[in-house]
Amino acid sequence: MRIIVDIFLIFGCFFAFAGTVGIIRMPDSFCRMQSSTNIATLGTLGAVLGGAVYSFWSGNIGTGVKVLVIGMFIVLTNPIAGHAICKAAYKYGIRPDKKFVCDDYGRDIADGK
Amino acid sequence: MIELIYAGVFYILLSIVLIYRVAKGPNVVDRAVASDSIDIMTSVALILFSLYSGRGIYLDIALIIALLGFIGTVLISRYLEGRL
Repeated sequence: MRIIVDIFLIFGCFFAFAGTVGIIRMPDSFCRMQSSTNIATLGTLGAVLGGAVYSFWSGNIGTGVKVLVIGMFIVLTNPIAGHAICKAAYKYGIRPDKKFVCDDYGRDIADGK
Repeated sequence: MIELIYAGVFYILLSIVLIYRVAKGPNVVDRAVASDSIDIMTSVALILFSLYSGRGIYLDIALIIALLGFIGTVLISRYLEGRL
């Protein structure tokens, strides 16, 4: 049991570390946004699943269900926040780097006006 | 199960590292994204500490922190978009 929980925790810690390095090191606002979603989905999911397995195994069913509900809430609401803040960033005037290949959303906004 | 405490301290260290991005970030979107990540990682660390110490009150605090972080991020994005 301990080995399973440890594997889940190490999984979550690795993805949280990768997301943090991405937020610190990425060159662009939109790239940093993409790294932050890495923290909120996989980094959370690893720790939450590990905690739920530990709690179910030690007999606390209510605690495990509550942990799973918190994890499901975070995983479901993070894409909404990501989309909202990405759209807000584009409308606020932040543009990606010069090496950007295609800009469909800017074309849509220009057509709409 | 001391590993729960180790993982929680690791998450807190990562969120302390993210304060650098909140302080330095070139524009407002970077600050909002980094503080949202700090919220989520604090919530996860509280979950792990609650499982270690066996008290259920920290789970409620973790749920409230996650909910307020989501509402704050959506509110900041609505404000930047100009529709608030």
